[in-house]
Amino acid sequence: MPRTLRSSRICNRRILRDALIAFALIASCGAFAAEPGLAESLLAGIAKTPPVSTPFVQVSYRGVLDRPLVVSGTLQWLGGDRMQRDIDKPFKETAKIGEGELSVQRGSGDVHRMPLARAPQAGAMLAGFRALLGGDVSALQQDFTLSAQGGSAHWVITLAPRTTQLKRQLVSIVIDGRAHEPRCLTVTDANGDSSITLVGAMAEAGLRSTAPLESALAARCRNSQ
Amino acid sequence: MMRGARVAIWFVWLALIAAVGWGVARHLQISSDLRDFVPPARTADQKLLLDEIGKGPGSRLLLLAISGAPQDRLAALSRGLQDALSHERAFAQVANGGNDLAEIASDLLPYRYLLSSTLDAHRFDAAYLHAQLQQRVEDLSSPAASMLEPWLKRDPTLETLKLAQSWAPARQPKLVDGVWFSDRGEALLVAETRAAGFDPGAQAAAIASLQKHFASLPGAAQAQLVISGPGWFGVEASRTTRAEADRFGAITTIGFVLMLLLAYRSAVPIVVTALPLLSGAVVGFALLALIFGHAHGITVAFGFTLLGVAQEYPLRVFSHRRIGIETSQCVRELWPLLATAIVSVCIAYLAFFASGVAGLQQLAVFTIGGLVVAGVCTRWLLPLIVPPATRDMAATPGLARAWHFLAHLPRPRWVPWLVAVAGVLVVAFAPGKFWQNDLSALTPIPKAELQRDARLRAELGAPDVRYLLVLHAPTSEGVLALSERIAPQMRQLVANHAVDGFELPSGFLPSAATQIARRAKLPDAAQLQAALQQAMEGLPFRAGVFAPFVADVEAARKLPPLTPEQFERSPVGARLASMLVQQGDGWVGLGTLSGVNDSAAFDALTKTTGGAVHLLDLKGSTESLVEAYRHRILIALGIAALLLCIAVTLALRGPRRALHVLGPMTLATLLVLVVLRACGISLSLFHLVSLTLAAGLGLHYALFFERRTGDEREDLRTLHATLVCVASALLVFGVLALSSVPVLRAIGLTVALGVAFHFTLSVLMAPAEHLRGER
Repeated sequence: MPRTLRSSRICNRRILRDALIAFALIASCGAFAAEPGLAESLLAGIAKTPPVSTPFVQVSYRGVLDRPLVVSGTLQWLGGDRMQRDIDKPFKETAKIGEGELSVQRGSGDVHRMPLARAPQAGAMLAGFRALLGGDVSALQQDFTLSAQGGSAHWVITLAPRTTQLKRQLVSIVIDGRAHEPRCLTVTDANGDSSITLVGAMAEAGLRSTAPLESALAARCRNSQ
Repeated sequence: MMRGARVAIWFVWLALIAAVGWGVARHLQISSDLRDFVPPARTADQKLLLDEIGKGPGSRLLLLAISGAPQDRLAALSRGLQDALSHERAFAQVANGGNDLAEIASDLLPYRYLLSSTLDAHRFDAAYLHAQLQQRVEDLSSPAASMLEPWLKRDPTLETLKLAQSWAPARQPKLVDGVWFSDRGEALLVAETRAAGFDPGAQAAAIASLQKHFASLPGAAQAQLVISGPGWFGVEASRTTRAEADRFGAITTIGFVLMLLLAYRSAVPIVVTALPLLSGAVVGFALLALIFGHAHGITVAFGFTLLGVAQEYPLRVFSHRRIGIETSQCVRELWPLLATAIVSVCIAYLAFFASGVAGLQQLAVFTIGGLVVAGVCTRWLLPLIVPPATRDMAATPGLARAWHFLAHLPRPRWVPWLVAVAGVLVVAFAPGKFWQNDLSALTPIPKAELQRDARLRAELGAPDVRYLLVLHAPTSEGVLALSERIAPQMRQLVANHAVDGFELPSGFLPSAATQIARRAKLPDAAQLQAALQQAMEGLPFRAGVFAPFVADVEAARKLPPLTPEQFERSPVGARLASMLVQQGDGWVGLGTLSGVNDSAAFDALTKTTGGAVHLLDLKGSTESLVEAYRHRILIALGIAALLLCIAVTLALRGPRRALHVLGPMTLATLLVLVVLRACGISLSLFHLVSLTLAAGLGLHYALFFERRTGDEREDLRTLHATLVCVASALLVFGVLALSSVPVLRAIGLTVALGVAFHFTLSVLMAPAEHLRGER
């Protein structure tokens, strides 16, 4: 039965090592404290060597729209601060993030480029997936405060923005996962809009409705089954 | 005359100088506008160039880099500095990347449908709107959604964003923490001063306030602020030049005083010899105040240098005094020669008056007036305050031996001719450019700072400073229309890699005709509502969400076209203001270019527009300007040389004696040129001024050595006087030759070399029978 293990706030600059310690704390303070090496295995389970690729389904809830937007495709973490998101349905789009820049190409149209600072959502997405797929908490330290909850059946990592600039755009990024697998990435914008991105097995399973309610989808992310 | 009377006259004289000096100082404005020292523009391009140099946008930009602290501190400092300077009147604009372009464009939001090119190719009908809204749906799931969303309801076709993107510099530094950062991790800002770039006074004030604001920011002490750009260089150049001139001035003054003590064994020459020179200087300034009302700082500095010749007059008097003879008697004997020298040098300096350059004309008035006054003072006032001689300088130990040595040096007659021929060959065939046309070669700014400027310029994407595209039309509207017409050709030039990028005035503000045409295409509220209704079918947008869009389009239908004056008041307006300028009774558009690879490719553009558009090579224009300038000065100098020959010939009553004076002068000038050329130094205006000064000094030496006195002791006094004069000139200019400031070094080296050659040749080419007493 999952119970709150410990909220760990990582504020230190010696990033990677502290991240390891933090994950170790999450694990060691909990029900599995008796099993040495779980923290390592949890981390090892999450951390992968780039390039890492996973299918995804993103459901966006926007104030100007009367129903959610659903897109699906492939997410790739190419290592470092480079990632790529290919949308296959319902249209084709390739978004690349790297070297502080976001470039978006829809279909075979022009490539639009913009600095990442102007697209905080893209930055948040990169941050979330770096943490998830790379187990690389280090890069997040400057922009986010990290906290973690849960056990192996369901765990949650919350990224709260630290800088005023990010806070103007973003409330939080929440990552739900089970055991070695991340399942959902929920981004809540400052204007109340939000998006839930299903990854891995959750994405493969797909949606049960063409326009899922936000609450229902959130519950599915938390569901430990 | 009694000692008391002499002292009293000395005091009265000094008081007069002080009084006139004080009066002049109150009325004479010292200007620092470099354009006083640039020849008048002849061609339209040169005129434009001068305007650009003075007021152009490029010259008013200060590039700022903050380093030496953690990134977040640097970003905070950048924001703090931007905030502080935006309230400062000295600055028109301060950018650090933090100003969101979309925010800037919102100022012109009501006009977006007239400014954006969308309506040239499309109409706001159901089909176009549907395609746009479909894209917006897709945008909403893109990682950039949060950037677009605030605009969506008012501006579903994203005109604001299109405008912001078209106005954004082609290349921007990367943004970290919302502000610009260089690849080396410095926070970057660009500050545009209101003052012209080449107004060092105003630039210095702006820079001082900038530095003060930076220093008062929290945490500024741990970071470094680096400033670059033309304004900074101007201020730095005058600061280092003045600092070095002051330092060397102090050294040479001490050296000069010691030398006078050594030469005359008395303190009297020190307190007395300065008076004629000072009198000349204050009268020179008074003339400037009367004739011009102002004087340029460079005129003052150069003027004092050229006036230095006058220091010789009282020194000669002191060397030639004899025991038991009234000073006035000695002065009377010297006067014909001194007068010849003064008139000849004044003729030479007249050349600067003929140059037609305001600064040089001031220089001519100052030096000629000053020399004449110094000469007159030496002739009529100086004898009143100089005490009778107690020592004959002819008796100076070693002087007779030196004379004997100089008199018996071998003087083969063919040597001067050989030296002259060899010299001409060296001057003509030495490798390297003869003339220095590149003004920037004279800058005292260290290479490292120039390289840093180039790096910051590249990182900030500042446009090419060498080329500009110039568009001529009778009205500003005409310029904008012309600019619109050539835009397609410019895009073709980019496609052909003739140029990497461009920015035209019409890129910011379309012509009124174009704006009216676009406005005519805007649908009325009912049409737009109906089209929207149809367009939204099958899309997930909430009903009525685009009401602000409908209202904005309706408002735009009633707007008069945006005028350049209105646009220039907006936050991005400064860009247009710098690209659209009135010149004479017409208007000029300036297109900025980056990376010009093939300047010849622009010829076709000139041809198709009937010459209304052409490429301006700023470097080429400056060089042609400098060349024309030098040409005038050379002609003036040539005429002056001719007049000098005539004057000397008349004064010495015959060409044979004149040759003994003019021969060494010419050959010495040639030898200075030989040394400069052999060292690979290209000649600039400053070398020409210095050669003229050296020739003026050389004229003195030659005139006095040529003099037939028939008195061995008088010859020794001449040698004494000349040695003192040569030593003082070598001291002053030799020290200057060690300067790190190119202009000071050019002057110092040229004059010091000139003095050495003029003296040597005056001795060697003087009629040997005089020197050896074979009269």
